Formats: sequence, structure tokens, C-alpha cells
Amino acid sequence: MAVAGRVLLATLAVLVATVPAGSAAARPAHRAVTVPAPPGGAAPVDGFRSVRTFDLVAEPARLRIPAVQVDTALQRLGRRPDGTVAVPDSPNVAGWYAQGPRPGQPGPAVLLGHVDSVRGPGVFFRVEELSPGAVVYVDRVDGTTGSFRVVRVVKVPKTSFPTDLVYSPTLQPSLQLVTCGGTFDHRAGSYRDNVIVYAVPS
Amino acid sequence: MKTWTGLCVAGMVLLVAGSSVAARPVQAPGSAVRLPPAGNAVAAGNAVAAPLPPPDLALRLESLLGEHSVLAADLMRGRIRGEQDFAQTANAALGQNTDAMTDLISSNFGPAAADRFKSLWQLHVTALFTYASGLAGADEGVRSGARVTLVGFERDLAGFFADASQGRLNRDVAQAAVLMHVNHLLQQADAYAGHDYATADRISREGYAHTYAMGRDIAAALVPPGQAAALDAPVWRLHSELGRLLAEHVVLIVDATRAGVVNGPDFTAAADAVNGNTRDLAGAVASLFGPAAAASFQSLWADHIDQIMAYTAAVLSRNGEGRDAAVAKLGIFENRFATFLQTATERRLDATGLAKALLAHDQMLLHQTDAYAAKQYQQAHDMAHQTYAQMFDVAGQFADAFGATVAARLPSGSPQTGLGGMAGVVGER
Repeated sequence: MAVAGRVLLATLAVLVATVPAGSAAARPAHRAVTVPAPPGGAAPVDGFRSVRTFDLVAEPARLRIPAVQVDTALQRLGRRPDGTVAVPDSPNVAGWYAQGPRPGQPGPAVLLGHVDSVRGPGVFFRVEELSPGAVVYVDRVDGTTGSFRVVRVVKVPKTSFPTDLVYSPTLQPSLQLVTCGGTFDHRAGSYRDNVIVYAVPS
Repeated sequence: MKTWTGLCVAGMVLLVAGSSVAARPVQAPGSAVRLPPAGNAVAAGNAVAAPLPPPDLALRLESLLGEHSVLAADLMRGRIRGEQDFAQTANAALGQNTDAMTDLISSNFGPAAADRFKSLWQLHVTALFTYASGLAGADEGVRSGARVTLVGFERDLAGFFADASQGRLNRDVAQAAVLMHVNHLLQQADAYAGHDYATADRISREGYAHTYAMGRDIAAALVPPGQAAALDAPVWRLHSELGRLLAEHVVLIVDATRAGVVNGPDFTAAADAVNGNTRDLAGAVASLFGPAAAASFQSLWADHIDQIMAYTAAVLSRNGEGRDAAVAKLGIFENRFATFLQTATERRLDATGLAKALLAHDQMLLHQTDAYAAKQYQQAHDMAHQTYAQMFDVAGQFADAFGATVAARLPSGSPQTGLGGMAGVVGER
């Protein structure tokens, strides 16, 4: 923080020195201008008012991946008290990490789903089968649908989960699907790997 | 036709004068006059700076290419409007931009590569000017000739990048990227000449964004293969993206204030483009900090833009009190916005330093407006350039602070999304 402040101040010192003292910008001096006043009536610049709204992508409601027969509602997810990400309550329903971007918004949106339950396949059981080019649809609460294209599928050990690549802030819209994979550690009651599908808007 | 030819010759003279180096003689369209090359070759004159590390090289290339697209549009639009003084200073600024890109290439890839790049790039700038002259004179022959030159440029520059990258950048891919860049510039000029300012500014925004993507791709191909991965790092990408958006804010508000302060017919479209950038910035803040923070951000940012425009309107109407009022309100914005950012980043950014940096930003924008209104185009371009460059530095500090703030809130560990019921199948994959 302190470093940032010092650098900004140093930059400022140089920049302010470049603003001629005669400029009205060097408060509050004035300078004559040679531009004639607009003939009759106000100029468009007089009436300008900046936009004060922006289009916010609606929250996701449903996930569809035809290539692996996924069609599921999406549960909103947050973080657990221990700092780990919460996972869907049901193995048959996927979830959206709601403290991050929405699918289609700038940045990485993250959807999670179980590969299995204790008894059978989960909603993301076949997600590992996806190949680059497969299409992923996200239906939103406002009735719109976002379309994404798979660009790569990776399997990583849980001990080296790439938090920075999956969640970290960038402004490029992307979609990450996360589930479990690899061999099962019966003693820990957990799979040893995670499968991550990276997709981009199509 | 005779008047047009005279203008073209004069324009070519100033073009050559504005570029510190011309590697080959150029011929004015429709004229037998051959203009001599000016300046010196890169290798003979400039000291070669130390090579930049790949992330910095890529950011610098993006920034310079983005500024090139803006200055080239300035040059072409000035020519179309018949404002020779403005076109001349735009050309001088383009020459400085070309020199900076040449220095960058020289320091990283050697003076021979820099010389080759510079001669190609200057040919590009000259052909763009010629094309704009064809538009201004409604001479399809001149435009066609410029297009032929530009097609050759696209092929040669793609070859240059393919060679410099030792084949890592496919020649066809590079040519397609350069072609798109040229098309953006030609199409915005066509629209501007046809008084379709909304289309001209829409294409210009697309062209500006394309130059950033092109700069990133070129840099990734030019650096040693093992070092290109640095451009995938989230903090680098955030710096690049914030830099593009914040620098575009400068580019667009400079364009809008110039149009506004002379009550130009292109003001409304230019102001709409500013609004487009403001929406994009708010969208970025929403992604990083959530919708509520984005709404607060946009309210403050809109105050900032409104007062810059109010100042512009006051200059236009010679309303000294209006100018003072706008300056005073900008001071309020600077402090509020700095406090907002300090809070949003959990004190990773310091409000006091930020407020002073914002003051410098506003002062430069206002002075740019004053200079343009007084037809002091050199000062106007210098101010615009410095404001643009400042924004990229600020973007780096924002990226560090924003990135760290968001990263501190990310989930830890790995998701537990399996209970083992299908372990026999899953484990065999």
C-alpha cells in the first residue's frame, strides 16, 4: 500500500509539472480561447450527462451440456467457514460459486458438481469426457442463455489445485466446470484429483 | 483535382517531416514529385535500451499499438476535415509513437529488425494518410492505390513478425491480424467521411481493442517460448485489461472534448463512445467487487465525466464561472473516488496519493481541452499522450491492489465433489 502511494505521488509530481501554469486546469487560472460560442441555443456538450447504469449479466439458473447429457438447476454456493468452497447439497444438482463472476460477465465463472454420490453417478459424472469444442449452455434467470465452448480439460492433484487459474480475477469472460476425478482415497473419503473444464464464450 | 494534388503533396511533406526516420523515398499520389527520405536509420542514431522482460514488453507493445490506432484515426480524420495543422501534429505524434515502437523492437530484437519494422510501419502510416486524402478528395483512384500499398504492407509486416518469431507466429495468422487492423482504420475513415460518426466510433473502439489483442499475441510469439507463459498469469492479464479500459477512457474523453469544444457534429457519437467505455469499466468493477460496488463506482465516475464535459461546455461558451465550478466539482470527485478505492481495496491503495494522481489526471484533461480550443494542437497531443501513459501506470497499481484484494477472498483448498460411489469407474479413466 505504501509503495503504491509513493509511486503515485512520484508520478503526480512529474505530471503536475507538465501542466502549464496558465491553464485553467491549474486551478483557478483562466486562459482565453479562440473558439466562437455556438450560434444560437445550447451545444450538445451542454446537455451531456454521463450514463449511470450498465448491463449486469443475470444470475445463472440452469446448466446444459448436451454432449454429456447434463441438464441441471444451479444452486448458489459460497465459502465454508474454513475457507473452502461450498459444494452442492445434492449430487444431482450443480452449483455456481456466487461470490465470483456470473457466467458471461467479465472474469472466470465457476460451476461445481459432484462426480458421484455414495451410491451412484453424480451430475458431473461424465464431464471428464468433454473434448475441446463441446458446447456448454448456461440459462439465466432473465431468460437469456450464454453459450460457451470447451477449450481444454485437465486433471490435477487436489494437493496442487490451481486456485489462481480457476478463480483469480481477470476481465476475460470464461467458464470453469469443476468436479472430482482420479483414484479414490478411501481412508480420506475423497478423490485424489480434480477435473477442470475450461470454456470460453462462443 | 489540382487543389487536391497540392494538398496531398503538402501532406506528404509534413508526413515525412513528422516521422524522424524514412527508410525509402515516398511519392505523392498523382504527382511526379519524389520526396527524399528524412532522418536517420535506427541503428545509427539511438542508444539501444536494455531489453524489457516479456510481461513488460507485451504491455508496452499493447499500449503503443493502441495509441497508434488512435493517432492514425486522428490523422485520417484531420485530413478528411481538411484541418492540416491538426493532421500535421497528429502525424508528429504518430512519428513519436513509431519511434517508441522501433526502440522497443531494437532493444529486444536488435537494430536490424528495428530498421526493417520502421520502414514498413512508416509505409503503413503514409498509405493511411493517402487513403484519407482520397476520401477528402472523393478520388477512388487514390484510395485504390493506397489499398494496394496497404495489402503489400500487410504481407510484408506479417512476414516480418513470422521471421522475428522464428516461425512461432504463423505468417497467415499474422497477416489476418494486420489486415483487420488496417480494415478498422479504413472503415472508420469511410464512415467518418460519410458523416456516420456513430459507426466510425464503433469501429474505432473495435480497432483499439484489436490492437491490444494483436500486441499481446505478437509479444507472446516474439519472446522465447519458455517465457510466454508469463502472459497467462492472472495479474498480468488484469493489468493488461485494466490498462486497455482506463487508457481507452482517456482516448475517448479526449476525442469527445475536442468535438465538444468546437461544437463539432461528431460530438454526440464521441460522447456515446465515452458512455460505452464507462459501462465497460462498471462491468469490470462488478466482476471484481460485485454489483453494489460497481454502482457506487459508476456514480462517482459519471460525476467525473460530467464535470469534464461541463468544463468543455464552459470553454465553448466562454463561461469563466462555469469552468471554475467544474474544476471545483472535480476536486470533490477526486477525494470521494480516492476514498472509495481505498475502501474497496481494503487500504491497499492510499486515498491521499490517489486523490493527487486523480487531480493530475483531471488537470491534464482540462489543459488538453484548453489547448485544443486554442488550436495549440502540439500541446493538445502532448497532454493526451501523457494522460494516456499515466493511465497505464495507474492500471498496474490498480491491478496489483484489485488482484490482491480479490485473491484474499478466494476459496482455499480443492473442492470435495465426489463421495466414491463410482470410484471403480472414475479411477479407471
